[in-house]
Amino acid sequence: MNLKLGYIQIRDIQFAKTSAIKDGVLNVNAKELEALVLEDENFASVKFDIARPGESVRIMPVKDVIEPRVKVSGDGDIFPGMISKVQTVGSGVTHVLKGAAIVTTGQVVGFQEGIIDMTGLGAEYTPFSKTLNLVVDFTPIKNLTPHKYEESLRKAGLRIAYEIGKLGKEITPDEVKEYEFLPLLESIAKYPNLPKVGYVQMLQSQGLLHDTYVYGIDMKLSLTTMLSPTEVFDGAILSGNCVSACDKNTTYHHQNNPVIEDLFEQHGKTLNFCAMIITNENVFLMDKQRSSDWTAKLTKYLGLDGAIISQEGFGNPDTDLIMNCKKVEEAGVKTVIITDEYAGREGTSQSLADADPAADAVVTGGNANQVITLPPLKKIIGSIGHVEKIAGGFKGNMAKDGSITVEIQAIIGATNELGFNRLSAR
Amino acid sequence: MILVTNNILAFNKYGKEIEVKFNEETLCELLFRVRDFVHSGHKLLTHPLSGSVKPNETCFKSVLISERKEGTDFESLKIIENSIQLVKNFQKYEIPKEYLKDLREIDLTLIGGAIRK
Repeated sequence: MNLKLGYIQIRDIQFAKTSAIKDGVLNVNAKELEALVLEDENFASVKFDIARPGESVRIMPVKDVIEPRVKVSGDGDIFPGMISKVQTVGSGVTHVLKGAAIVTTGQVVGFQEGIIDMTGLGAEYTPFSKTLNLVVDFTPIKNLTPHKYEESLRKAGLRIAYEIGKLGKEITPDEVKEYEFLPLLESIAKYPNLPKVGYVQMLQSQGLLHDTYVYGIDMKLSLTTMLSPTEVFDGAILSGNCVSACDKNTTYHHQNNPVIEDLFEQHGKTLNFCAMIITNENVFLMDKQRSSDWTAKLTKYLGLDGAIISQEGFGNPDTDLIMNCKKVEEAGVKTVIITDEYAGREGTSQSLADADPAADAVVTGGNANQVITLPPLKKIIGSIGHVEKIAGGFKGNMAKDGSITVEIQAIIGATNELGFNRLSAR
Repeated sequence: MILVTNNILAFNKYGKEIEVKFNEETLCELLFRVRDFVHSGHKLLTHPLSGSVKPNETCFKSVLISERKEGTDFESLKIIENSIQLVKNFQKYEIPKEYLKDLREIDLTLIGGAIRK
């Protein structure tokens, strides 16, 4: 598969009478989008707002972040199986509104988490303090169940991103990158001397607020399978995961998966990136057994020399991660795992719910129990609710000046397990 | 299978279908109780840290274990011990009462998916 991503650099977002992109400025007619959202009778109202880097704005509780993209040529359409019809994507030309993001917020359940600060210390911990955010705040009708609210909210966010993405169809991109993913045998023939490396992506799939969709299919119902990484760039994998702000993968993370981008960068130079495997993280131990068996079987069948395994979430998925790692290593394939840690505030406690000597190459996204103090910000989009009590916080953590002390697990993407975050160490 | 839970919704919903061991207790007490079952020969069927709601953000948990008692299953023991260890890393604080309904609902949904299988 060959996919060209054309990046249209967005410099600002403005509300306007006509939706269009002019000289890098994304003009948005909020009324039109409101009408689109309210076609879903589960919503009582919807509010649009804009948050720019550096502004004194806090957004919470964030449910998803989505990058607007549009299919210019090639099979299928963006967000297949969810917003557009089911057809294989990942080839042709796709335009990306780079620098812009749709951020959805809404109180699906009582407790809240998922903070994006556009300035101050908190901004250093989330990548979405650097994007121009069109924030959509959804209010449901009364007595809507959390299941239905979550589904409506998730789809509405994707529809908005889809509509906004379309504005970039006729625009000439500022930069074009080409990604080629060959059939396995061709890839091996082309780079016979390079190590064959695959990417195993684990997808959250535990239940309400903890799901991931692949071509519209709830991943907990799928066996471990394969796809082309270029399909992911076109929105084949979508987030329905609203819990665990710091280490969940939003749709934006999937669309910009840095493991895939980096493997492509090294492809043909230091390694042969020739397989992508996706697997789930169910709660039933028997499912874990089955899925990790399949992961190992596939890596062996494909004849991989090495695999990178990325996790999503905390606790329960630690067990899937270690099962995958151990079994893939036993199949004779070297692994590197990517995770994050809950090592206590001092960072000295056991940090994962599972471990094995086979996991001897580990990349961490950081310690989610690390404590930071967020300064008071002038404007809140969404609702602050009881953040000081619930979102990685603790009793009495709001100071007189309005600053709040929280664990970084409260911040969207702070310890992301795809490596799409701003934490680093020397 | 046997359901070990401190979530009254799970007891009410599944109490007639399967054996449910319900206690009003904290999350830690629940995990200790699950560990006792593992020590006495039951196997874990679901992960004790199901769901990504952090241990200090929820107080409800439902865990499925095997009906049959055999020798201690060391894989189950490792999982429950590691889970208890990890829960201790989180700062404890009081969860606002108005959230309890939603937290029970999430736990019920997660375990419901497993029971239906």
